[in-house]
Amino acid sequence: MSRPLLLAAVVAFALLGLAPVVVMVARVDGADLHAILAARSAALLGRTALLGAGAALIALVVGIPFGFLVARTDVPGAPLWRIAGVLPILLPPLVVAMSWAGMTTLRGGLATTLVLGLCTFPLVALYSARAFERVDGRQEEAALLAGGLRAALRAELPLVLPSALFAACFAFVLAINDFAVPDYVSSIGPKWNVYADEIFASWRSSRDTGSAVASALPLVLLTALALWPALEMRRRSLLTSFSGDFRAPGTLRLGFWRWPALAFVLAVLGVAAFTPLGRLVWESGGGARGFSAANMQASFARALELGRANLASSLTFALGAAVIAVPLGLVLGHALERSGTLGRRLAPLVLIPIAVPAILFGIGGIALWNHAATGAIYDSGWMAVLLFAGRFLPFAVLSCAAATAMLDRRVEDSARLAGAGPARRLVRIVGPALAPAVFGSGLVVFVLSMRELDAAILVPAANSTVLFRLYNAVHFGRDDFVAALALLVVFFVVAPGLLWTLFARRRLEILP
Amino acid sequence: MNAVVLENLRVELGGRCVLGPLDLEPVRGTWTLVVGPSGSGKTTLLRAISGLLAPASGRILLAGSVASDGQRLVIPPERRRIGFVFQGGGAGLWPHLSARATIEFVLAAHHVPRADRARRITELLELVELRGLEARRPGELSGGEAQRLALARALAHDPELLLLDEPLGPLDARLRMELAARIREVHVRRGLTTLHVTHDPEEVRHLADRSVRLEGGHIVSQNSN
Repeated sequence: MSRPLLLAAVVAFALLGLAPVVVMVARVDGADLHAILAARSAALLGRTALLGAGAALIALVVGIPFGFLVARTDVPGAPLWRIAGVLPILLPPLVVAMSWAGMTTLRGGLATTLVLGLCTFPLVALYSARAFERVDGRQEEAALLAGGLRAALRAELPLVLPSALFAACFAFVLAINDFAVPDYVSSIGPKWNVYADEIFASWRSSRDTGSAVASALPLVLLTALALWPALEMRRRSLLTSFSGDFRAPGTLRLGFWRWPALAFVLAVLGVAAFTPLGRLVWESGGGARGFSAANMQASFARALELGRANLASSLTFALGAAVIAVPLGLVLGHALERSGTLGRRLAPLVLIPIAVPAILFGIGGIALWNHAATGAIYDSGWMAVLLFAGRFLPFAVLSCAAATAMLDRRVEDSARLAGAGPARRLVRIVGPALAPAVFGSGLVVFVLSMRELDAAILVPAANSTVLFRLYNAVHFGRDDFVAALALLVVFFVVAPGLLWTLFARRRLEILP
Repeated sequence: MNAVVLENLRVELGGRCVLGPLDLEPVRGTWTLVVGPSGSGKTTLLRAISGLLAPASGRILLAGSVASDGQRLVIPPERRRIGFVFQGGGAGLWPHLSARATIEFVLAAHHVPRADRARRITELLELVELRGLEARRPGELSGGEAQRLALARALAHDPELLLLDEPLGPLDARLRMELAARIREVHVRRGLTTLHVTHDPEEVRHLADRSVRLEGGHIVSQNSN
């Protein structure tokens, strides 16, 4: 790796991802820490941990069988359902929550847990699917001969479980740090506060960074406790990847059971994606007032007219964040993977931007950039771009690191011996060879930035996003405008991945 | 001056000595077979010479210049002007580049003027009998064609030293004989010094000038053919 290039990437990561966290932590003093010990904090923390555990459990229970069925079996339409299975994680959880809220009377903790579990199950499904595909065909055939499908599954589950648990840890982290869903569910039913609310309220009430950070420390600890085993699981899941003479496993035939399996797959997709989207379509067409194509056309026209600027802001910010994150992710991810033991030791550092609650990261951004010298950045859209890039950079880094681990080292060695310097190797050999992962990491940053609300909610420059507009709109009631705007958000979030799937010949690698 | 000289070379992996200490000085323009059982240090030897592995101690001289001095890589791999054909069926070929683009990449890395590149590419692909397959990527080539492309790539920057790591391994018997003869022809025509690692020396012994046997990281015998 080129040292100047690596140094530049490290400095950029430190500025975008680490500095907001460091600036915040530096502002905490002893008096602020008293708030942590309050009984209310302990109760909120317990509730938040329960929410995370519930969501992670749902993600595991649904995600592992879903991933297995769509990746490895002859369930009718499996390739299609596999692509559709990504939808729930692309949908902003707030959109799913508001959609289901209109169809059920379920509220409070159960509703929040269900929504966040359904929105994060694709993580487990994607990782499980990849792990099931990396089981050597000969190992599987030996198990099949020994005891049929049941024996094969028993042999493979221990190989797949580290990947699934890694994803479940992330589901846990995403759930405990979510602010928008519990806040929305609380606004339409009995109050069910979680820890992220506390940080938001703490900042809103006093504008005191120190107390806001101090109040968030237990949540940071909880996140770190989940991410630490996640890294270990990731290492183990990489060990189960291809060996030199890997033979891909074949499709498993389920016989009669393919039909119940299809019913399960469709039920999962129905609950997590098709029904919420269908509900939004119905609402955008007038809903209970009378559904019609004319109503729908009018509501979309209104959403485009009123939300055009917000959509443009979101797209610009998300695209900007992805453009910044992709080269940084490639350089840092490649270096992380190729530096062996040192890389493993530094990996926890990479996770810091997502180890702190999104709201706190936003407050850190304010503390870092809201100065006379950087006022021009703070007041402009650049603030949102830098905020999103810093927050989601870990996904790009880990995604590129995972892809680098799968790249035959001789591909790089031969380029080196052919006389190519570090920059040329990165641009001409490593980058293109990892193209699906490089584009995939950019897509992940784009999607996460498009659906981000929590980090942006306190940052004035990021208040022009479409998610912020949606968040405000749903708090002032529901109408066809809100549904149409939510569907437009979904369209722009899904479109890049859909275009790649339709036109690129290689499968997109999006997994960190 | 010989193309490569190894002086008291020792290589460690994970704190364990896997090669050496050994001395080796193949005569310029000769073909040396390096044979030995799996794990004897054959591939490690080639990786150390190429600079992909830093030795624990000893020196490696290339064309009279110190390339590795102890753990210090005096000359980085990209400036050693070594041709390397990796082990495996076309292993290390760049999956996204066509045969033409593969050679072009090497020439560009060595600052060969654009005007000369097309001619050089044609010459090299003719040399390894890949004319007509210029647009194909490694995944679209057969095992033998991929190995020939790997050879063309290794020769593109006119190296003095050619390192072959089991280049014939994945091919069938007929292709192995053909490719071995082709490499020998190139070796003679270009006056290369070649180090050829194999675990099955019998089929290529007649091509080599000398053979070195490694066991447990040490040279246990050396013969001239």
